[in-house]
Amino acid sequence: MHLTSKEERILKGEEGFGRQKAIELLVALGDIYGAKRLVPISSAQVSGASFKTVGDAGIKFIEDFSSEAHVSVRASVNPLGMDVLRWRSMGIDERFKEKQMRIVRAYASMGLEPLYSCTPYLAGNRPRAGQHIAWAESSATVFANSVLGALTNREGGPSALAAAVIGKTAEYGLHLIENRLPSVQIDVESIPQGSVPLLGYVVGRIAGNRIPYITNLTLTNDEHKSFGAAMAATSAVSMYLYGRPGVRSKIDTSRIEECVSLPESELKECQDSLSGDDSWDLVAIGCPHCSTQELRRMARTLDGKRPRKDCNVWFCTSRKAYANAPDAVKTLKRFGKVLCDTCMVVAPIEKMFKRTASDSGKAMVYLPTLGKQRATFRTTDQLLEAISR
Amino acid sequence: MAKGAVLASSIPLSFLGGVDPKTGRILDPECECRGKSVSKTVLAFPYGKGSTVGSYSMYQLKILNASPAAIVNTIAEPIVATGAIIAGIPMIDGIDVSLLRTSDKAIVDAESGTLELRNVEEKQVVTNILRHKGKILLLQRSLEVGSYRGLWAGVSGFIEPGEAPKVAAKRELEEEVSLKNARMARSIDPQSFRDGDVVWTVHSFLFDVRDPQVSIDWEHQGYEWVSPEDVGRFPTVPGLQKIVCKLLS
Repeated sequence: MHLTSKEERILKGEEGFGRQKAIELLVALGDIYGAKRLVPISSAQVSGASFKTVGDAGIKFIEDFSSEAHVSVRASVNPLGMDVLRWRSMGIDERFKEKQMRIVRAYASMGLEPLYSCTPYLAGNRPRAGQHIAWAESSATVFANSVLGALTNREGGPSALAAAVIGKTAEYGLHLIENRLPSVQIDVESIPQGSVPLLGYVVGRIAGNRIPYITNLTLTNDEHKSFGAAMAATSAVSMYLYGRPGVRSKIDTSRIEECVSLPESELKECQDSLSGDDSWDLVAIGCPHCSTQELRRMARTLDGKRPRKDCNVWFCTSRKAYANAPDAVKTLKRFGKVLCDTCMVVAPIEKMFKRTASDSGKAMVYLPTLGKQRATFRTTDQLLEAISR
Repeated sequence: MAKGAVLASSIPLSFLGGVDPKTGRILDPECECRGKSVSKTVLAFPYGKGSTVGSYSMYQLKILNASPAAIVNTIAEPIVATGAIIAGIPMIDGIDVSLLRTSDKAIVDAESGTLELRNVEEKQVVTNILRHKGKILLLQRSLEVGSYRGLWAGVSGFIEPGEAPKVAAKRELEEEVSLKNARMARSIDPQSFRDGDVVWTVHSFLFDVRDPQVSIDWEHQGYEWVSPEDVGRFPTVPGLQKIVCKLLS
């Protein structure tokens, strides 16, 4: 790997121990993947922020590292294990809160932006097309590559942090144009109402580690958000390409080695396999975090209705969207908790609930594993109907 | 530079879930090292798997003084590489970990990317596979040779100090089966096999011969021309079948 003289100096430790460790990590990963150099990034998104996922080992590392290093580009942080303000009403205990706050303080002291969201692109950190970034949150990585046209690999937590400190990342994988071509084509027949997350779930399984090209996909940005999150959760791929009906595609399809047609029946099968039953302790909406528009749309649907009292409800969102839609938040709060900074995937949900229903394809992957939940998929509208009368 | 006894796993490991982050004990039920501690060992496994949180778990092991002295991988993978760097554990890759055995005495030099086994000797040998009309020659080693007596092999022998493998190959042909001008058809990258405290690094060559008549010396007690697929039916020296397969593919 070729390093500039400045990078060599950092590697030798002339700019301090923290920066030395950071560049060592980037160079080692670059060597593994055959990168030729480091490429400057415009922003980073750091995962590994919830005490639940990083544990005592993570706290130790983040605290130790934070005393040695500071970020040199814009960098934001993934969701935490709790709402920083309303942790107690969420059911978080004092011990968890103390550990979580140590992580919060350590990241803050390094200069990371406290967005605590998996949707940094909706919360203030939105890259432009063609910009190199180092993002670690899998759902955000997919959105940045596929919808925004930025270039990023799915970084690990420590490598995104190292990239934030150096302001560069190793140039391999999706940072190279030639690696951003699809190798599997998927023809989607039609998508039943509310099933976009399931489509992502199924597409991810088909794609595996190949970039898929979905020939006819007309989605809103909010739908892209939930589609990509589910796809990233069931696959190792961090990008998809799509064509819209009636628009001539400019996508280079020369490397496509397989075409798959995805009938509606397959989505129905997937829905059946995830449909669980109707007894839930928790209804969780907002994986990825709800956008301002999604909060408003749900509030409109629920307007004039009364809540059912037999079920806990979490609406998870970013602090930015929360602030943008105060009226919608007010309505939603009659039906459940509107939580910021966290979500059902990274909160210690297993200490509070056993059965969770969600409208998220990504959550269907992580709730049963990381969250130890019996998970049930329902569309957003089905969930809103279930929690109101 | 790190020293330690090897702990060798034949399967990929995850530091999240697969290893107890407090004691370093291996928890993975599928691993032959289950129950043993990675602490202070030269931990050898093919490659890492699992969640990125595994990187942090390696750091935790280091802090608790329960981390491996070094890590040896066949293929480096980002989670383990990340963990090794943040924890400051020397790590090398590109080593065929199937050549390592638990309790080998290892010295790892991460700077130069090398591994030395103090209890293991590497021996450089050539083995020649002779081919005639689709059949290959197997020789049965006599009871007077120093190793693998009675087993079947190609035309093989030690490479002398300073000798090129190709030269050694032709010399052995002449010495053992009195062949002077066989045509070399192919050679492959050296293959290594572990047997006890010896790693045999075998430089293999394929020769075409016109005359199936061979005369053997004291090192052998018999020979046979066989179909390549029948090699597996003979009790052979280690790795012969793999070498034949590679030479003929």
